[in-house]
Amino acid sequence: MAIRRIIEPWLFVLPALVVYIFTVIIPIFWSFTFSLYEWNGIGDMKFVGIDNYMRMFRDNVFLTAFKNNLIFTGLGTVVQIVIGMIMAILLLSIRWFQNLIKVVYFIPCVISSMAICQIFSKMLSVNPEGVVNALLGAVGLDSLKAAFLSDPDLTLIIVTLVDAYKFCAIYMVIYYAAFISISKDIIEASIIDGCNGWKQYRYIRFPLIRGIVFITVVMLVSGTLKGFDVSYILTNGGPGASSELVSTYMYKVTFNSVNYGYGSAMAVFMVVECLLVVSLLRKLIAQADTED
Amino acid sequence: MKTAAFRYGSRILLYAMVMVFVIVQVYPIFWVIASSLKTPEEVARNAPYSFPHSFYFENYINMLQNSRIPLYFLNSSLVAVFTLLLTILLGAPAAYAIEKLRFRGNTKVMAFFLLGIMIPIFVSLLPMFQIYNALGLRNTYLSLVLPQVGFSLPLCIYLYCGFMRYVPNSLMESAYLDGAGPFLVFRKIIFPMSRNTTITIITFNFIFIWNEFTFANTFMTSSRMKTLPLGLNDFVGLYGYTDWGATYAAIAVTIIPTLVLYFILNKSVIEGMAAGAVKG
Repeated sequence: MAIRRIIEPWLFVLPALVVYIFTVIIPIFWSFTFSLYEWNGIGDMKFVGIDNYMRMFRDNVFLTAFKNNLIFTGLGTVVQIVIGMIMAILLLSIRWFQNLIKVVYFIPCVISSMAICQIFSKMLSVNPEGVVNALLGAVGLDSLKAAFLSDPDLTLIIVTLVDAYKFCAIYMVIYYAAFISISKDIIEASIIDGCNGWKQYRYIRFPLIRGIVFITVVMLVSGTLKGFDVSYILTNGGPGASSELVSTYMYKVTFNSVNYGYGSAMAVFMVVECLLVVSLLRKLIAQADTED
Repeated sequence: MKTAAFRYGSRILLYAMVMVFVIVQVYPIFWVIASSLKTPEEVARNAPYSFPHSFYFENYINMLQNSRIPLYFLNSSLVAVFTLLLTILLGAPAAYAIEKLRFRGNTKVMAFFLLGIMIPIFVSLLPMFQIYNALGLRNTYLSLVLPQVGFSLPLCIYLYCGFMRYVPNSLMESAYLDGAGPFLVFRKIIFPMSRNTTITIITFNFIFIWNEFTFANTFMTSSRMKTLPLGLNDFVGLYGYTDWGATYAAIAVTIIPTLVLYFILNKSVIEGMAAGAVKG
């Protein structure tokens, strides 16, 4: 009986645990092992120690991808928080059709990044002329017409904004839920005290949902550090390496150049980066919370 | 003092802003569906932002004849069904054991699962690729189902645990007194009670799986096994510069099922995706 009570729970957990360990945990160690070798998948594996990691610091494409990824993360986080917040406040301020508007705002979140990227690629294209260029022409701004997706100065910004476009409504929903859950008493008391409109957000609502905003910062940073789809599909990291991200470069090194060792080193780098940044952010937030 | 005119004006401004965001969020999808209904002459001659003059379904017929999109549709559906079934089948019992059977080390097991939420999927691409090569599993449904189950389990277990925490233990205890074992309690009491959580997990995971690109792009190289996002990519690559109407139709066809499902189940989709995002 006693043994049964010990074993029984594990029968429930074990199947999930096995699949999880097999697909998520073991690959981390597997990739780490590969990262210490030079290997193209067919010939002999040559042990090179930490050479693959040192190589990242000398590799200009990797450094560009890393720098791009920081911009993608920084700009993407700010844009999504600001737009998400604006949409949440708009939603909160209207009296009718709140739910309908929420559902409509959320549409880009349920569309695949493949479809979103194909649509934007068509809308931004030159030949056939896409909506953006056609509209610029129609309002007389012909000088602004451009092949947006082949301009290395613009691609990273476009990739960041398309990615933000796809996901910002998630943050709207989170902020909206947070605003809604503020107790009615607090709001009413503040109105009696003459705290209205913008002041109410400034002094009452924003401070009260600060914790949620911090959480979304962590979510956004960890999410954008792993960003892949939009860069890979919309611009394929190009032109040149102008919109390359760490993940897309890692993918190309691994599967196009068949450099398994170097690719694995970058994959391990991403795991360490994500775990480090997220735990660091959490610590900072916990500290900020205890200070007041 | 704020006058009535000022209030009225700010109301109008507010609704104008609401509408601006509605247009921004909807226009790209509206545009692609509208463009898919244009005749080739309209696409070539009229401005790209103009409306179609009639419903021209020829684009859809061309698209269906020149591609394997229906097959990709089936592939995507099968992968989604298998992945969801397996995720629920493995995740719900695991959460039940962690939250309700309270064995030694249950919190450690939970923490171990939660770690997976932060792991980028990219780390498992090459290892899985090689395992599949060795076992001849590339271009099988299983090759897409397994890693997607593995990476969605942490959140699934987390959500189930969140619900089961509030199921009173007294319910289970009376069942135990009647002689029911933990398996029966799970099957007859806990799992049916978790119905809403199950629906939430299924709906938002369905969207993720249906839209998934990276695993499919890596493991499904045979043209018969591709999923919808990959098939769309191929189609645009082949016809994107020649048959624009059919290209728009192909994009529209991949979007419409998700949209329909979303409009029916919008509440659990939104809730699930927001909960799914908060996890990280």
